[in-house]
Formats: sequence, C-alpha cells, structure tokens
Amino acid sequence: MPLNALGRDIPAFIEGYGKVKPYRGAFALQPSGNVVGPRLRVTNADRTDKVLPDLKAAIAASGLKSGMTISFHHHLRNGDYVVNQVIDACAEMGIRDLTIFPTALFGVHKHLIDHIQSGVIARIWGSVNGPIGQLVSAGGLGAPTVLRSHGGRPRAIMCGDVHIDVAFMAAPSCDRYGNMNGMQGPSACGALGYAFTDCQYADCVVAVTDNLVPYPNAPISINQTCADFVVAVPSIGDPAGIVSGTTKVTRDPLRLLIARYASRLIEASPYFQTGISFQTGASGIALAVTAFMKEAMLRKGIKGSFGLGGITSYFVDLLREGLVDKLLDVQSFDLGAVKSIAEDPRHVEISADMYANPWNRGAAVNMLDVVILGATEVDRDFNVNVNTEADGALLHGIGGHQDTAAGAKLTIIAQPLLRGRIPCVTDTVYSVTTPGECVDAVVTEYGITVNPRRADLVEACRGIRDVPVISMDELANKARRMSGPMDPVETTGRIVGIIEWRDGTVIDVVRQLKK
Amino acid sequence: MRRTMLYLPGNNPNMLVRGHLFGSDGIVMDMEDAVALSEKDAARIMISKFLRRGDFGRVEVTVRINGADTEFWKKDLEAVVPCKRLDGIRLPKADSPQIIKDVDEELSRLEDKYGIAQGHIKLFCILETAYGIWHAYDVATASKRVTAILPGGEDLVADLKTSRTPEGTELEWSRRMIVIAARAAGVDAIDLMFPRVTDDKGLRRDAQFSKDLGFDGKSVIHPNQIPVIHEIFTPSEKEIEKAQRIIAAAEDARARGLGTVSVDGRMVDVPVVKRAHYILVKAGLEKEDE
Amino acid sequence: MKFASAGTLESMDCLVTVSEGGRGSGLAVELEGSGVSRFRSAMEKTVRDTLEALGANDLMVNVNDRGALDVVLEARVETAVKRLRGER
Repeated sequence: MPLNALGRDIPAFIEGYGKVKPYRGAFALQPSGNVVGPRLRVTNADRTDKVLPDLKAAIAASGLKSGMTISFHHHLRNGDYVVNQVIDACAEMGIRDLTIFPTALFGVHKHLIDHIQSGVIARIWGSVNGPIGQLVSAGGLGAPTVLRSHGGRPRAIMCGDVHIDVAFMAAPSCDRYGNMNGMQGPSACGALGYAFTDCQYADCVVAVTDNLVPYPNAPISINQTCADFVVAVPSIGDPAGIVSGTTKVTRDPLRLLIARYASRLIEASPYFQTGISFQTGASGIALAVTAFMKEAMLRKGIKGSFGLGGITSYFVDLLREGLVDKLLDVQSFDLGAVKSIAEDPRHVEISADMYANPWNRGAAVNMLDVVILGATEVDRDFNVNVNTEADGALLHGIGGHQDTAAGAKLTIIAQPLLRGRIPCVTDTVYSVTTPGECVDAVVTEYGITVNPRRADLVEACRGIRDVPVISMDELANKARRMSGPMDPVETTGRIVGIIEWRDGTVIDVVRQLKK
Repeated sequence: MRRTMLYLPGNNPNMLVRGHLFGSDGIVMDMEDAVALSEKDAARIMISKFLRRGDFGRVEVTVRINGADTEFWKKDLEAVVPCKRLDGIRLPKADSPQIIKDVDEELSRLEDKYGIAQGHIKLFCILETAYGIWHAYDVATASKRVTAILPGGEDLVADLKTSRTPEGTELEWSRRMIVIAARAAGVDAIDLMFPRVTDDKGLRRDAQFSKDLGFDGKSVIHPNQIPVIHEIFTPSEKEIEKAQRIIAAAEDARARGLGTVSVDGRMVDVPVVKRAHYILVKAGLEKEDE
Repeated sequence: MKFASAGTLESMDCLVTVSEGGRGSGLAVELEGSGVSRFRSAMEKTVRDTLEALGANDLMVNVNDRGALDVVLEARVETAVKRLRGER
C-alpha cells in the first residue's frame, strides 16, 4: 500500500470516492486550469417572484433526482430545522440515493439516521458527529464519508471535485427575489460565510426562509443572481440552538491554567506587538486565552489589527473597547456577535472562500498572526488529530483547523494532557488532520512545548521563568507514564472516512471499527 | 515559601492528579473535613497510593490527617508516613502541647519503623479552640517538628460562642494571636482559607489583611485563588528595588564607619534593614537565616 | 450475596464493586466505561495484580470506569476488597 508524505497507508483508489491524490506536503500541490461554473440561464422581467409554496414544490422545480448531490450550510448549528425538513420531503417524494454535502452536521441531525438506513441518503461528504458519527464508524454508511476543511470545501467546489446539483440555503432574512442575509429575523445567525460558494456554483439554489421581506432586502450577503427559488417555511430553526446567550470565559482551573500558559507563549513570541491579529474560536480554553491576552494587551498598551474566524461576544467586546480594530467573521456564535455584525461596519462578514481557501488570490488565514486550536491527539512529530476519538470513532469535523494552522504565523494547540485516562499526546496519532509542519507549539497543564522546527520560538521561550517549558519527548513520555500502555484500536480493512488536506489530496483515512 | 497551601479533597482523584500543577507553594491532601465519615478508609488508601506513586513537582506535600481525638489518626499516619514524598502533617484540633507530644512520639515511632530520617516529617498545627489559641506559643514550641501554626475556622468560632460575620470580626483576634505566637516561637503562621470562591474582591481584601497582619501565607480551597494571593504576598518590583537600595545603603554606611544613613528621606536603622532582608526573602531572592 | 463497592462515577474515578463468588470460582473481572476501549489489558492487569497482592480469591469484580489512572483503579479495588472483608 502506498505511503503518503506523512507515511500513512492510503490506497490508490477508494471505492465510493475514486482515484486518490496522496498528500505530498502542506504547500506542495500547485493547481492548474480554471474554476468550473454553473450553466448559463436567463431570467426575464416576466418573473419577479421566485417564491414557491413549500419545500416539495421547490424540490420538484429544482429537478432533483435520485442519486444527485445536495448541499447545506451549518450556520443554524444545533438549532437547524432545514436539513431534516428537506431530507424528509425528499424521502416522501421517493427521491433516494442522495449525496448530502453539508458544511457540518450537529446532534439535531441524528434524525437523518433513519434516512441513511432506508437508503435516502447514500453518501455524506462532510463531517459526521454524535450518533451519525458512531453509525459511520461502525460501517453503517455505504460509501466513505469525505471530510474537508472550511477552506478545502470551497476549493473542491470551485475545482469541480464536487458538483452540487441543488443547494438548500437556510436564510434568516430573504426577499421574494432571493437576496439573503443572516443578520435579521427570528432565526438570525449572523454571518453566512459557509453559504457563499454553494450559492455561486450550485446548479440550483433554493433559499429557505422564515422571514420573507419586501424587495429589495438589505443588507445583502448573498444576492439575487444566485437564487433560483425561495421557500417560506414557518421556522427554519430554534434560536436557542442557533446562538447561545453570551459566551462566558470558563472558570475551570485546569483550562485557565492552560490558557494562562498559552497567553504567556504569545507574549514571549515576536508577534506580540501592536497590529497583532488572532483567532481563538469559542472553546473554553481558547476564550480564556483571549481573556488573558486582553490583560496583557492592556498592560503593554498593544492594539490588535483584527480578530478572525468564529466570532463571539467576547471578541465583540474587544472591538468595542478598541483592543482590536476589525473583526472578520465567517460564523457568528452568540447574540452579541449577531447584533454586532448587523450594526457595526468594523465587524465584517467574510465567505469561507475568503476565510480559508488555499487556491485563490489570498485567504484571511494567511494574514493571521496567532491561532489557538484544540486536538484529540498530537504526536511526537506535532501532527494533530481532531477527527477521531481514542476509541477510533470518527466523531469530529476538520473545521478551520488545517487552514488556520497552515496560514497563521504562530499555531498553538492548547489542550489538557489527559482527558480521563486518555492522553492527548501520543507516539503517533491514530489519524492525521493537520501535519506537524504547520504546528508551532503545544500547550498543556505541564507547560509550553515548542516544535523544534521553530528555532526562533525555542529561543524566545528561553526567557520565560514563570511557566514550565518542556520538550516534546518529555511531554510524550510523561503522557505514556501517566496513562500506561494502550491497546491498539481494532479495525476491519474497510475505509469509512477520508480526510482530505486543503488541496484535495488525501492526508489520511479512517477505517471501520471491529464490533 | 508558604504563600499558598492548596487543599485537595483526599477522596477526589481529579484533584489529587492535578493539584500540584496550579502553582501553589504547598498542597494539603485532606483526610479530615473534606472526606465523609463513610469514606475515610477510601481516602486513606487513595492518598497513600498517590504519595507512593505520584509526581508532585516541587510543592511542599502535606496531609491533613484526622484529629487525635478520632479513631482514625493512627491509621492515617501509618498509611502516609512510609511514603518518602511526604513533607509534613497538618494536624487539626492541635490544641494542647500534650497532643503535639503524642503525635510527635507516634511520628518518631513510624519514622524509625520505616527507615525515615528522625524528625523529617514536620507538623502544621491548627488551633481550633479558645484554649488552643491561648496556648498557641506552647503548642508551637512543644516539638521541634512544629513548623507552622494556623487558626481554626468554624470549630473555633463555635468554641468562642459566637457566629461568623462577613467582616470576620469573630476570628480577627485569634488570627492576630497566631501571628504573635508564631513569631515568638520562630515558626510560620498560615492564615485561614477564604471560603467564597467566586468573590475575587473579597479574596483580595482578605489576603491583604492576612499579609498586613504578618502571616506567611494562606490556606487555599480553589486553584483560582492562588494567583491573587501570590500577587499580594509577593513583593512588587518597586518594593524589591527599594529593599535592595536600603540594604546597599546600610552596607555602605557600615563599610564607611557611619552610624546611620537615610534612604528616600527615612532613617535606615536595624529594624528597617531587617525588614528589607525579609522582603528579599519573600521575593525568593535571598535565603532565610535559620 | 455479600458485596462491597468503592469509588464514584466522577471524572477520573471508577466505581469498583466486588462480590463473593462461589468457593473455587476464581476471579471474574468485568470492565466497562470510558477507559475500556484502549486500556482493557492494563486495567485487567492492575485489577488482578491488586487482588493477588491482597491474597483475594473467589471474587467477582466489576469496574465502571470514568477515566481512572492506574493508581486510582488500584486504590478503589483495594478499598472495595477491604470493605468486603469488613476492614474499614
């Protein structure tokens, strides 16, 4: 079996996927040719209203047939109703064997398990978690699921790797001609970053809204030239599941300790000066890092240039307090962020393409100084796994992990060394998401561990007195000593998950778990 | 340094695994108040195993055993003394010199039995009755093992026949007396823990009070309290710089045969120099004179 | 049937229940919970080694794990056995 550049066994051809382009290095592959595009069409003045009475009418009008590919975005998160409603309608109409291409799935989508088992859904190209992830890991899906990062997915669409027949786009605010935004309405979700590329490239775009407004809508995130049909439904989602009230910084002492160490590393790095840009996301540790960084920035009189990524109200506060100049928002996590993006011109909505696509004229991740990320595992070569859990189950998507790690000047993985008995530092990760060449440091409750590739950071850390600095060997040995020897994961040969790198090469595969 | 000593409930594996990572100067694995009666055996076995196998970095490792007035204390000592990583025993209800002598004797017997250096295990005495507070000096000097005395909390309040107030009036004088007795006896004084874990402002006020009274540090019940207390108990850069100037000026005066000298308009005499050295000790820049 | 237990289902702990088996039944060890997928062998060894050191036999042992390190598993097994023997 051939090995890719990280030494992982990947076959040359995978049933249900096709010919494999093996991973060759984070920046190895060069694109050639042009982007693909949707077919031309004409829309004349005799049609001024794209609204159809219900989802079934839209599905029929779209020409959706069994075997086709449909896509969704995940901006409604765990409050989403649209995916389940669309698949239910397809099932009732006798449409089967579909490939679904969501940007992510959540617990609420466990409803789809029946449709998977009945054959309505044949393939999932996107992350799987919770019960669907368990089902996939046990071999319950006929074809392997394909995971792509936030930047790799638009690239795949633009290259024609994935062809979207119909995109069903939940739109919290939409007019009768298809101008959409995510900032207004009862199901407001803020930025619609993950919807842009689908709308630009799908053969047919159906906007699904619970807030039909008079023409023309404003502001316009995704404009009318993309929309084929509009459907008004009673509700596209549950606000309580779409956005949380406010995101609060954790008080968990272990997470605060790790966050303090990570913040200390950032302070010691050459990037901690006015104009710093950073991305932290909404996890407990990452948010706490932002809180400590804020203290340090105030102490040293440093102003940030921009915050990037999934935006929380905590980041919005930094904007309001003048600690950061702009926010580039691909996904808004809470009510504060939704309100801010609607009202504050310094809080800018960006598409996933602009955020993270490696094959365009420059994504925002390239301008990023610091990113704080998590992991389920890191190995001695600093390769990172975020997709599989210790038992080998495929339970998490890639998100923006690969893209931010590849783009940011300082990529920090901040994670407790042990979760229960399970160590997050191992000799070799069970599956690779992000290669070690993109990872600069690991921070745990045992201190700061710098990738030896970064001689400059190793040097910068020499001056740190108040935080332990520990080598990867010491850290991995400590993890092994504390957790003890691990039994191997038992799998069958069958591949149930394919992890693509940003450039469409296959960086690793996940195999079916033995009963 | 004993600015902070973090209590770790003895029957709680999560805290026992991680407790030493939060930066406190010492840890107190608790077999007493943090452990229900029905779980004393479980805590004893758990703590014993951790002491034999765990790696605790550089913190001072102590165990709060059950009081000498219980059926547990001898079994508690038997379980932990053989473990070489143990630095000290925190003894609750240590209210008379006789109790100290009894525990000292038992410790010596166990040190002998298990080949531990005689006198290695130190005693931290919690005074939880009016009698104990009154005899704090005698308790502190009852054995060479005594390295610190501490005021009691709830039990002491009850013995004083009063109740707790937000201002802490009821325990204020007990705390003051502990400091006096500790200094007279040449041992450390470690103050009460601050119970309201989410009250950062209250913690600051209380820790500042502890420091101003002259305590060496405080007991801690939650890791989040540690950085605040360290901030207050550790001399600032300004204080350190001034202390160094004072010491340098005094050295200079002595070398030149001058009687007294002035720094920043204040006369620098012997007590001032002594305080300056103490600040450098607290800052970790100087070793304490034994 | 006489049985005893020690530990909890809190994170990093495990609940160990031991009960008397018939005479000559040997040791029956049952493991469940989060550590089992990767630590079954290590857990089984620790349980058996601990029982052996205590001279315990003819027991049924159930471990419901919530991520207990080896030292914690050992402590809970020992405590459960001692409780079964009436030593508190």
